[in-house]
Amino acid sequence: MDTSLLLSQFLSGLSRGMVLFLIASGLSLIFGVMNILNFAHASLWLVGAYFCYSFWVLLQGYGFGMWVSIGLAALTLAAIGWVIEVVLIRRVYDRELPEQLLLTYAMVLIIGDLIKLTWGVEDRIIARPPLVEGPVFFFGIPFDSYFIFVILVGFAVAIGLWWFLQKTKYGHIVRAAVFSREMVSALGIPIPRIYTGVFVLGIFIAGLAGGVQAPVGSITLGMDMAIVVQAFCVVVIGGFGSLLGTLVGSIIVGEIYAFSILFWPQGALVLIFVVTAVVLIIRPWGLFGTPMRA
Amino acid sequence: MKRYWWLGLVFIVALILPFVIGEFWVHVAVEILILGLFAVSFNMIFGYMGQLSFGHAAYYGVGAYATGLLMVKASVPLPICLPASMIAAGICALIFGYFCVRLTGIYFAILTLAFGQLMYYIIFQWYSFTGGDDGLQGIIPPDFLFSATAYYYFTLFVVAAALIVIWYISESPFGYTMRTIRENPDRTRFIGINVKRYMLINFVIAGMFAGLAGGLWGPFNRSIAPDLCNWHQSGTPVFMTVIGGPLGFFGPMVGSVIYTFLMAFVTGFTEYWPLTIGLVIIFVVLFMPGGVLGFFEERVKIIRARALEVGAGESSEKENS
Amino acid sequence: MAGEVILEVESLNKAFGGLQATHDVDYEMMTGELSAIIGPNGAGKSTFFNLLTGYHTADSGKIFFKGINITHWPPHKITRLGIARAFQVSNIYPRLTTYENVRQAILAQQKKTINLFTPASRLARRETTELLEITGLSEQSDMVAGNLSQGDKKRLELAIALGSRPELLFLDEPTAGMSGEETHDTMELVKRLNREIGLTILFTEHDMSVVFGYARRLTVLHQGAVIAEGTPEEVRDNEEAQRVYLGEEA
Repeated sequence: MDTSLLLSQFLSGLSRGMVLFLIASGLSLIFGVMNILNFAHASLWLVGAYFCYSFWVLLQGYGFGMWVSIGLAALTLAAIGWVIEVVLIRRVYDRELPEQLLLTYAMVLIIGDLIKLTWGVEDRIIARPPLVEGPVFFFGIPFDSYFIFVILVGFAVAIGLWWFLQKTKYGHIVRAAVFSREMVSALGIPIPRIYTGVFVLGIFIAGLAGGVQAPVGSITLGMDMAIVVQAFCVVVIGGFGSLLGTLVGSIIVGEIYAFSILFWPQGALVLIFVVTAVVLIIRPWGLFGTPMRA
Repeated sequence: MKRYWWLGLVFIVALILPFVIGEFWVHVAVEILILGLFAVSFNMIFGYMGQLSFGHAAYYGVGAYATGLLMVKASVPLPICLPASMIAAGICALIFGYFCVRLTGIYFAILTLAFGQLMYYIIFQWYSFTGGDDGLQGIIPPDFLFSATAYYYFTLFVVAAALIVIWYISESPFGYTMRTIRENPDRTRFIGINVKRYMLINFVIAGMFAGLAGGLWGPFNRSIAPDLCNWHQSGTPVFMTVIGGPLGFFGPMVGSVIYTFLMAFVTGFTEYWPLTIGLVIIFVVLFMPGGVLGFFEERVKIIRARALEVGAGESSEKENS
Repeated sequence: MAGEVILEVESLNKAFGGLQATHDVDYEMMTGELSAIIGPNGAGKSTFFNLLTGYHTADSGKIFFKGINITHWPPHKITRLGIARAFQVSNIYPRLTTYENVRQAILAQQKKTINLFTPASRLARRETTELLEITGLSEQSDMVAGNLSQGDKKRLELAIALGSRPELLFLDEPTAGMSGEETHDTMELVKRLNREIGLTILFTEHDMSVVFGYARRLTVLHQGAVIAEGTPEEVRDNEEAQRVYLGEEA
């Protein structure tokens, strides 16, 4: 097979993986720290995409409109995340797993309809600025230039998160909370504040991911449904609470998708779930996770 | 059995129902029964075994496709299709369950979800066999079950028979073993029970009844689609069970009545059914943790406790061991 | 009957991380014994029980029960062969009634748990009632187990273990959390079980009066290793045992 085709497929897999990473990293962080699996994560991601679209419509006259819209979408989602945490999530910290899952699942349904009410049912498309409109050429192969931006954002967030978790005081507290809530609260740090912070951060990244996603293609109702389960797969493959694992898992899932489209188009999604199931069976804590708090 | 006189009453009401209500509501009643059976089968895993399956629709869907394919492609009569649905779903549950019961908690939930999605995409993509996303049309029940009322009675008897069987299982030593696995799997190992094997058996039985519910669905709806396997469909019995209350046998059935009735009612004048049910679920999760049945049981207990003026905290005392 | 070896442990080892919880333990029990294992907190008593009942798997060494090598067997198989245990922290079914708790153990012993269609309430009635009587829980029969008093929970724990009809019974601090009277009753029951039906019993205990009052043979564990063994008198006189353990009490 043609190496150039493989390369272009690899890059598109990578950009797909990066969007997944942006979603899954927040999901993993929230689960790792708060022990809450947020079904609504991808729904908020989609809300981010729609907000990006709306801001872009407002700022259409300006050349920088799209770029600013992405940032504004992320900030808006951070605010929404804060409201959700304080109003809903906080009430179920001590509840059992099914109730927490149901709460976030109910949010999926509500957010889906709120999107419909706000933005209607037709697809939305953002016209990209000239810089990322056309293809770029690698070794003579055309490649969507916007994908380069997506990949860069993905790695930038990965590095930023790594820096935050490893090098800052707050990052250390968050990491400690992954291992033991008791220890953190023994240090006199109020757990709810950490939880709120982590949730807002996670939703902020999801919003950013939505903003980044918006100009990729059209923004469609229901896009979140398939993505959220794939994001679960990423987190499972990489390991809950492991940033590196989430990054690797995202790339694996993105590449599986990209390459099976090439060789076995019907099997792309089937394969992702097979890999996920195999990882869960052999290493329930994932490739890079630790088997604690099982 | 004296405590269950009201069941006979419910059954009699169910028998005369089609004479009282219009055809639309007869359809709703069939849906209540089928989804209720689906939810009760789900609760064998959730309420009795203590694990949350988020992929129970896989077995419902496999059951639906087994009956659908047999009827459409081989013209097999419905009464033979239904047991075939149970067997197909049971085999599927045996294969997936073998791996699922090795995990618990969140990992169990995600693995069942992953297998559910796997099933969904297999049906979705296997165009030549399942018809892919076009689904399967023309699943016509036999003449004597063609009318809504006839199919209602057929469903009523099948579901009632299934519920009786599940009731017996839940009260059997096996059913109590499931409760002990839910309460304390470690202790259960140390009284000599192979916990994983029992969980697997239960998983398969639950899958079989989900398959039976799925088998009933196709001829009722005249068509089936891969969405029956989707994780959204898996959410339905979870809702019903949580709304109705997972700790009682009839909780999921009560949940099905509330859920399906509400859906039929709400979709009559708005398309925003997900928003409505989403708000209902949030309300139940936040304010009625034991579901409707649990809620009323609590009320009854409180009223009784007041009436009896029992000594300090005898009934409200809760200890964790 | 007495005098036959029922349990034989050969150089058993178990480490958690760097910590050697069980260190080269050799141990032997004869049928009909009533013995105790003592040692300070963290000496490895619970780990030893966990190894013998299959909760943990040994790193090396062998365990024979009735001459059968059960070293890497899972808990349920070991139980079925005739070893039961009562846990230190009562390990019951909090949302079932006392009666249902005990019945479950009996049904498991009778291999009736796979029965799908006979109501459980019709089975094992006599055995359950009997066992509740023996353990003094008849009055609490219909109470939800989670609401029992601490002492009753421990008794229920014992009843569940007895429901398995074991030949060898491990009791991990059977009287922890009990009042003086409850302690006495429980240990008298243990003694009776040993005398009357010849049940072989091994227990751990913190309360030295209980240990010296009931055990006929003592084994002292320290840092996972056996450091002394013998009759209560011999152990009392053993210098090393005094140093690591009894010294604290004396």
